[in-house]
Amino acid sequence: MKRLVAELHEKLAHVRLGGSEAARDKHVGRGKLLVRDRIDHLLDPGSPFLEVAPLAAFDMYGGQVPSAGIVTGIGYVQGRACMIVANDATVKGGTYYPMTVKKHLRAQTIAQENRLPCLYLVDSGGAFLPMQDEVFPDREHFGRIFFNQAQMSAQGIPQIASVMGSCTAGGAYVPAMSDESVIVKDQGTIFLGGPPLVKAATGEIVTAEELGGGLVHATKSGVVDHLADDDEHALEIVRSIVGTLREPVDSDIEAAGVLPPREEPETIYDVVPTDTRTPYDVRDVISRIVDDSRLHEFKPLYGETLVCGFAHIWGQPVAIVANNGILFSESSLKGAHFIELANQRGVPLVFLQNITGFMVGKEYENGGIAKDGAKLVTAVASSVVPKYTVVIGGSFGAGNYGMCGRAYDPRFLWMWPNARISVMGGEQAASVLATVRGDFDSPEAEEEFKAPIREKYEIEGSPYYSTARLWDDGVIDPIDTRRILGMALSLSAHEPARDPKFGVFRL
Amino acid sequence: MTQSSTGRTFRQITSVLIANRGEIAERIIRSCRSRDIRTVAIYSDADAHMPFVAAADEAVRLGASNAESYLAGSAIIETAVALGVDAVHPGYGFLSENPDFAAEVEKAGVIFIGPSARVIEQMGRKDRARHIAERAGVPVTPQYAPDSVPADAWPVLVKAAAGGGGKGMHIATDLAELEQALQTAAREAKTAFGDDTLLIEKYVPQGRHIEVQVFGDSYGNVVHLFERDCSVQRRHQKVIEEAPAMGLSPAVRDTILSAAVALCREVGYTNAGTVEFLVDGDDAWFLEMNTRLQVEHPVTEEITGVDLVDWQLRVASGEALPMGQEQIRVQGHAIEVRVYSEDPYRDFLPQTGVVRQLHWPAMNARIESGISAGIHVGTAFDPMLAKVIVHGDNREEAIAAMIHALDETAILGVVTNVGFVRRLLASTSFRDGHIHTSWLDSRPEAAFAVPQCPDLVLAEAARVLTVLVANPLPSDGWRLAGPAHAPRLRLHADGEDARWVEVPTTASAAVFSHSDGVRVWLAYEGQNWLVSATDGMRRDTQVSQGGPDVLAPMPGLVLLIDVTDGQEVAVGDRLGVMEAMKMELALTAPITGRVTVRVAEGAQVSMGHLLFDIEPRDD
Repeated sequence: MKRLVAELHEKLAHVRLGGSEAARDKHVGRGKLLVRDRIDHLLDPGSPFLEVAPLAAFDMYGGQVPSAGIVTGIGYVQGRACMIVANDATVKGGTYYPMTVKKHLRAQTIAQENRLPCLYLVDSGGAFLPMQDEVFPDREHFGRIFFNQAQMSAQGIPQIASVMGSCTAGGAYVPAMSDESVIVKDQGTIFLGGPPLVKAATGEIVTAEELGGGLVHATKSGVVDHLADDDEHALEIVRSIVGTLREPVDSDIEAAGVLPPREEPETIYDVVPTDTRTPYDVRDVISRIVDDSRLHEFKPLYGETLVCGFAHIWGQPVAIVANNGILFSESSLKGAHFIELANQRGVPLVFLQNITGFMVGKEYENGGIAKDGAKLVTAVASSVVPKYTVVIGGSFGAGNYGMCGRAYDPRFLWMWPNARISVMGGEQAASVLATVRGDFDSPEAEEEFKAPIREKYEIEGSPYYSTARLWDDGVIDPIDTRRILGMALSLSAHEPARDPKFGVFRL
Repeated sequence: MTQSSTGRTFRQITSVLIANRGEIAERIIRSCRSRDIRTVAIYSDADAHMPFVAAADEAVRLGASNAESYLAGSAIIETAVALGVDAVHPGYGFLSENPDFAAEVEKAGVIFIGPSARVIEQMGRKDRARHIAERAGVPVTPQYAPDSVPADAWPVLVKAAAGGGGKGMHIATDLAELEQALQTAAREAKTAFGDDTLLIEKYVPQGRHIEVQVFGDSYGNVVHLFERDCSVQRRHQKVIEEAPAMGLSPAVRDTILSAAVALCREVGYTNAGTVEFLVDGDDAWFLEMNTRLQVEHPVTEEITGVDLVDWQLRVASGEALPMGQEQIRVQGHAIEVRVYSEDPYRDFLPQTGVVRQLHWPAMNARIESGISAGIHVGTAFDPMLAKVIVHGDNREEAIAAMIHALDETAILGVVTNVGFVRRLLASTSFRDGHIHTSWLDSRPEAAFAVPQCPDLVLAEAARVLTVLVANPLPSDGWRLAGPAHAPRLRLHADGEDARWVEVPTTASAAVFSHSDGVRVWLAYEGQNWLVSATDGMRRDTQVSQGGPDVLAPMPGLVLLIDVTDGQEVAVGDRLGVMEAMKMELALTAPITGRVTVRVAEGAQVSMGHLLFDIEPRDD
């Protein structure tokens, strides 16, 4: 596990740099701060930063677009949790690749679900034109960004933009659609069409600064509300704006009395075997995540392959559902019961997912495991309390559904570096496909057929393949699980409880 | 009133009115209390909340100002009589050396704790004191008439015959300067003392100020309690005093000690007094006598073990001196530092403010303080807030002890000289004892270089100011995707540039601090710092429209034109006034340059109408 964690940190260190050295030097040479430095300046001293999907677009687009050219995450500004969406202009001029769009939209979704003010640090040339068909036209494409801004603004979720570089074409709508906006003098520009387009369209020859520079927008057009001298000043203005927002109800989570887990944090690495086939007791993971290592377990003697129980993380109540083997009918029923209980009590759910699937076989199918599994899936899908999922091992097949996979709208979904995700295991897939095809001349021929399938599953089942495509919100160091869950839970701590209403349970 | 066996009058003192304020009032109360003497404080409105008022058994408000309180002789005496107190202690300053006051007190049947009015009168005038000194065989400085200063006598010192405390003192290097000095000094002396008699004496530029503590009783006993060195002065204000004086030759010491006693015998001196000498090498000259308890009396107390205020009370009540000369011995070395509310780095400008937090050394130092946390230090009084006194086996140890004591001293909220004095004490000049009365006024570089706020002070300020994220998660700058970002704050010390400072996790034991949430008052090695979080919003983002044209900002009437064609104007200068919508609006120059007026007074103009244009000037 430690080797896998080291590998994760290596990858993170690489993408943290952003664009090429030349691009970074050029950026800094203009007196601009690098994107992560901007965020550091923006956040409160000591504020954590829960970055979302730092490894997005990893190994995609020829590995040329680290973090998909956009840094998103949650941090505290003026004591208030905010979603920060910041373009990295050192990566392809901050242009939007398909994954950039997906990541931007994902950040907005998180913000909307958790009612987090959005702070956009804009420094982007707009859509990446060569891939316009994958970023522009569809429902979940570029236009959705502005749709979301309008929607959130209407819901009272503040939208604030700071224009720190280009903000061209569609991008111009980010500040324009914001509630309040800032621009950096002699650095930020906003226009629907840049000087080359203007020249092509009307023959007018104009400089970028004359067309849509900071001074123009602050004094003439009114597209922005504040004019800043430089990056630091702009970020200070953004901080000041956040300071004017009405405070959400203060956190009633009390630091006092929060007990740390009784186990040493580092031992979490030793608990989980690297080989997903080796069984272990998931309670050893739970005891390293929850306060005082204390789990009030529900039905400990029934449906033992699913561990359910109430606990606290950083003083916040949680209902934990964790796999401890294959799902059987009993464990599914237990899970559905427990999820209903959590909803009844308004306690957020945390799923610790390590599942190869529901039990198969005649005995089980005849016993109605499909309807029992459906009960679990119904319970998960109908839940009204916030849900959080951490994939700590395998995530295969229908187990993914029953354990609140991405399709079940958990507020966040993270993966440990040892996680695997696919519809089934590579070996099983190869066998199934080989059986379907049948008629192999020799075992060698069958093996030749199966090998590429296994290899494909091997590659696509990797957590990095997953996180690159935004199937999750990030691959995390297991040692950070407690902290990450604590922070995520605190974001929803003030939501009013909703009345649970479940779909029809097939009894 | 009882007759003692010697036939002298013994008048028991059971209550004392203290005609003074601040630290000396508290000092007197302390000695009174150990003799079970009831104390009465008087105070002015400005002092109503001072600790000495609370410390006294009884306190009487006398008036709003100094003149109505500490200087209101008759009101003080009336109070003393009305409350039936036995004695009045004048402290130092105010009425302590006013012979009329001393006489009036005695006339009212109340004991004046000090020498007789007659002696105060005689010694109070420098000219008369000088005659007495000469009569007693005490060496005096050469004196000259204004028109007969010998060529080799320059520079000379002009001082007021009636004066003290440096007022009306001037140095003249030639005749022209002398004339000037005489005029100025006469004016000052007249104002300060109501007497413009002046003395012209030899000026000893590198002399040391050494004074002898003396004590006499009403039985004709006179003793000295050795000498004090008060050479560290700025503009005749003492800053550091020590006892005994280092490196004094036995002959000089003997000369001044016996001269001081002789002088007292000559005038029949009673109670505590100080005889001041100017010492230069093997020469010593009488300067003046102070007929009261001195500010710096604690250093004498520290080396002799005598409570001088206690002696004052005994002698005033008619007791004989508790010790003979041979019983008084010097033990070790003592140093006193006067804590002033002043800024040594800004020409010793007096400072005011609220004492937000007060911290004194817990051990190995004696504190004579007149202040407490929360009081307002105003300009009404002498800026001396307190005195720190230490004692060591020798001078070196005493210096070390004082440096340590000042490191533990924090008067937050008011700028003081503590950090400055600490640097003086640590300087080699001071350690080597090459100190004379002009030393400080010559501004030794090491002490006067304006210090920069040290990193650890900024770090402590950052720690104090850091508002941690309001949730139970640790505020350690954790990052999901990389190493933690150490919390930083942008701060600036008063008058210094802003800096980014990493927030330390633990407090510094060497730095004292107090914060109101926005600013932090800190003290490190005695030096005070005021550090604030830099508000990045406060920038002078002046959006200069830059254009040379001044257009009518709204439709209206041109009410006034202030400039004429060709006139040079600077940014912000008013060019004219418009009236619109019942409002007057000043028209100011957007740039610097030469203006041309494009409109006439009284004209009705539309919005955007050209009113002035300015030809920019490049400079």
